[in-house]
Amino acid sequence: MSLEYKIVYCAENQYEFPVKEARWQFLICPHQDENQELHSFSFTNSMNFPYEISTNAYGFKTLRILARTKFKNIEFKANFTLNKKILNPFNFELATDPFEELNRYHDLHFKVDHEPFLRKTPLTTLLDEHSNFFEYNKGETVFENLQLLNKWVFEKIFYTPGVTHVNTTLDYIVENRHGVCQDFAHLFSAIARQYGIPCRYVSGYLHQGNGYFGDSQMHAWTEAYLMDVGWVGFDPTNNILASDNHIKVAHGKDYADCAPIKGIILSKGENTTSHSVQVHGQQQQQ
Amino acid sequence: MAILDSTIFSSYERDHALFDELYDSNGKVKDIYQKLFALYGAHSIDDYMRLNEKAKSSFFNQGITFQVYDDKEMQEKIFPFDLFPRIIDAKEWELIEKGAIQRSRALNLFLHDIYHDKKILKQGVVPLELVSSSENYLHQMMGVDPPGGIYNHISGTDIIKHNDGKYYVLEDNIRCPSGVSYVICNRTALKRALFGVFNHYETHTVTNYAENLLDLLETVKPKGVDSPNTVVITPGMYNSAFYEHSYLAKTMGVELVEGRDLFVENEFVYMRTIKGPVKVDIIYRRIDDQFLDPLEFRADSALGVPGLFSAYKKGNVTLANAPGTGVADDKAVYTYMPDIIKYYLDETPILNNVHTYHCSRPDELKYVLEHIHELVIKPVDEAGGYGISIGNRLSKEEIEKVKKQIQESPRKYVAQPIMSLSVHPTYIDETNSFEQRHVDLRTFTILGKDKDFVLKGGLTRVALKRGNLVVNSSQGGGSKDTWVLKP
Amino acid sequence: MLARVANNLFWMGRYIERSEHIARYMHVNYFSSLDAPNELSRSRQFVLNSMLRMIGDPESPEGTELNEEDVLFKLALDHDHPYSIISNVKYTRENANSARDLISTDLYESINKFYHFVLKYPVDHFLKKGMYDFCINIIEMSSILRGKIRSTLLHDEVYAIILLGVNLERANQLIRIINSKYKDASISKGGYGNTFRNSFEWTTLLKSVESYDMMRRFYKKTPTSATTLEFLILNPNCPRSLMNSLNQIYRHIRVLDNSFRYNKNSTAFLVGRVRSEYQYKYIEEIEGNIEQFIDGMLKNLADIGTKMENEFFHY
Repeated sequence: MSLEYKIVYCAENQYEFPVKEARWQFLICPHQDENQELHSFSFTNSMNFPYEISTNAYGFKTLRILARTKFKNIEFKANFTLNKKILNPFNFELATDPFEELNRYHDLHFKVDHEPFLRKTPLTTLLDEHSNFFEYNKGETVFENLQLLNKWVFEKIFYTPGVTHVNTTLDYIVENRHGVCQDFAHLFSAIARQYGIPCRYVSGYLHQGNGYFGDSQMHAWTEAYLMDVGWVGFDPTNNILASDNHIKVAHGKDYADCAPIKGIILSKGENTTSHSVQVHGQQQQQ
Repeated sequence: MAILDSTIFSSYERDHALFDELYDSNGKVKDIYQKLFALYGAHSIDDYMRLNEKAKSSFFNQGITFQVYDDKEMQEKIFPFDLFPRIIDAKEWELIEKGAIQRSRALNLFLHDIYHDKKILKQGVVPLELVSSSENYLHQMMGVDPPGGIYNHISGTDIIKHNDGKYYVLEDNIRCPSGVSYVICNRTALKRALFGVFNHYETHTVTNYAENLLDLLETVKPKGVDSPNTVVITPGMYNSAFYEHSYLAKTMGVELVEGRDLFVENEFVYMRTIKGPVKVDIIYRRIDDQFLDPLEFRADSALGVPGLFSAYKKGNVTLANAPGTGVADDKAVYTYMPDIIKYYLDETPILNNVHTYHCSRPDELKYVLEHIHELVIKPVDEAGGYGISIGNRLSKEEIEKVKKQIQESPRKYVAQPIMSLSVHPTYIDETNSFEQRHVDLRTFTILGKDKDFVLKGGLTRVALKRGNLVVNSSQGGGSKDTWVLKP
Repeated sequence: MLARVANNLFWMGRYIERSEHIARYMHVNYFSSLDAPNELSRSRQFVLNSMLRMIGDPESPEGTELNEEDVLFKLALDHDHPYSIISNVKYTRENANSARDLISTDLYESINKFYHFVLKYPVDHFLKKGMYDFCINIIEMSSILRGKIRSTLLHDEVYAIILLGVNLERANQLIRIINSKYKDASISKGGYGNTFRNSFEWTTLLKSVESYDMMRRFYKKTPTSATTLEFLILNPNCPRSLMNSLNQIYRHIRVLDNSFRYNKNSTAFLVGRVRSEYQYKYIEEIEGNIEQFIDGMLKNLADIGTKMENEFFHY
């Protein structure tokens, strides 16, 4: 069985003074993998600037626009349709010996191979006093611990849009306990990595049919590496495993690797931006 | 003319505890310096003062200066230049040259490895922390194959002569090492002031650097390009090394561009000329990794070119040095250089590394604790000289304190023998006489595809303050012309 | 050549030329006024006002008493005034710096020496007794720079762009100086015969652009408004004339754009058009309408500048 999704991504930028030259890069295209298949996409803007397709450093598809005629307002719109397999995220067996399992995470080869997703980045660094809040239980499996962590993060932070921004530190978030999905994902990653479990930041779309948190913006969650299983998605904003409601766009070490829109603008003065995302889903028999 | 009391060397005082490059082990002026010593010695102090002033104004008028803020006024200063050259004979030079190439080659293989299979890490030859704790390790470079397989095209190796008379490498600079233009300026200034002395020596030229640089850069041109278009990219004219950037562009005969002069379209790089866009194939970049491409690295960078990295990844443009090369000139990597050379080349290092004791290894820890008074203790992860303790300058209480710190967290510390830099006679304005001053040597190596080049000469940097070991120009260091003699 | 660097070279040429004109105007007018044949022309206020007008300062309100030292400082050594000689020399060097890889070491070294000369010139000495020495040095160094431009650079696009800057600026300065002296001549009474036509200021005008001797050789008569304007505007053989500058501009723009296709939007087309208009003009068509001519020509020159910017320097 699978779900068919229609996603509409819109962004509007307004500038106080005319922009002489601009370049944007969008990282908003659903990723093509064994669980999701992109059927079609279109990408347009109100100035009719042409776009190019490129890939970012982690191999995810980007859309780029180079603007060379003057403008003050511009709207972007992207439409995607895709198929997503309905899978049980739980379809694996738990490790039998938690101690032996955790030991395998300390193997040098393993650590070398997963180095990028074990590293502390500026956005996934916690002060020592904050990193001891969550206690890892060595008597239980990695998966069970991650589920506890998922819940712990979910309870630690109150989902509150508008109080944090992309450069807010994790320590500030932990102390003030308010944040958005990026902050949930960073906190989860920071702690998982601290225990030696590779964890990557994921950016994508969330189908909100079930009343999940995530606003009408792009969503963020995490993927942690389980021995003999592979990458498993955890969504600490909603205290669930990532499932067929989660449409992945890209992953990276943290938000900095996955920013949906980056722009370099030659202009003075103020500018305002607004984004919106709509995800429509419908079940399909196959 | 009473030679002794009017000559400039008459009051040269030798401290025998220091290794003076002018003298041999018997206390006699070395053969290679004999003629120079006589030629300079024939000048009266007045003569010499005049020459010295002339050399200074030559630098000033050519605008080979740097700017300092003095109270509120901006002042232009020249890099102090000493007219008494340093001489390196052919045999010693051969060692330096081979050693510098060996290090560059080993580092290139190391870089390729840590951005591909990471064998050296998996086999535990160097610790994983070396890359995992480095901000200069760019994951974006994982699996990327730079054109021609070269990462560190341009490197500068800082070498000293210790009081045992041997050369030691202190640092391998492979980010954007600067100074090569001063090598050439120093030679020009010395020729203008004292052309006669060159008649008595057969010295290698240093003016062939730029042609070799262009030549070697062209060996790593992108695939499918016949006659590549090379440019030098600079952060701009307010950068302290701008003179060098413009010098290199000019002598290579290529454009000197800023980020705003370039743009990327369909994964190719173009420069904006008066006749429209012109494709660029090779970029000698003098801007740091983090500023190269605001779409991939620091988004607030106005110095870089949006989209440059993906054009690079596609293999459509060569960047020299490759992004992510900086990880190999971290201080911690240096301490593993002998292991790195052994691992990739199966050779022993030609140039000595300053021996490094890793306190994380029990037997080395023991040695460090017993010999602390003759060692320099350095924290592994502090930059800029912070937290360094020099053993022979510590009181008894301080020694105990340092020992305690090391024992508490041995992984955090390394120790090295206290190195002493050789001295060289240097003319001091304040006293109008020659005095001993500490010197080092920066050599310049270029690595191309199946081709390499070491500039036969280098930048001898002088610590102008008496007793000072810091030769950096930012800390009042000067420089000397450096002659490499033909065999 | 990079568009940005071309722009810098163009402006380097303009600033070199501008410094020279300000220096010459300052000392020529100051010294002519000392023994001018009529009272007003001898008045210090009159000459100071004329200087400020030449650098484009707004007219000071009626009755304002100008301070001589203030005005001279403003024209020569005031860092904060964008039109002062010192600012011009600073901009010259800054523009040269950014194109250092394209110009000769020789030229750069001379620009650098020029800069240090101005920077180190003692303000007090300048104000009390050094004005002539200062101005003469500026003029001389400017000629050295022009000489080095001509003799140490390959005569290619780089050269063409610098000379476009030099000549466009020369034309501009000439028009500004004509404007200023024309106003002076209208205000003051002529020395010989007391009319506008025979004003003493025409002689000063010619000296202000180093053309007095040339003009005397050509006409062998005392300058009048008509002969002076004819010589400075229309005579292509006078190296300082508008016509000569337009010819030079046309020659150099052709290096950048040698296409002979009909393209009315190109800079070359506009330069050619302005040049042809003046090539076959009578001075009588200008003399009666001098204000209109000045405004029109300033606009023409500004348009050429803008067109060049859009066509070649847009980056």
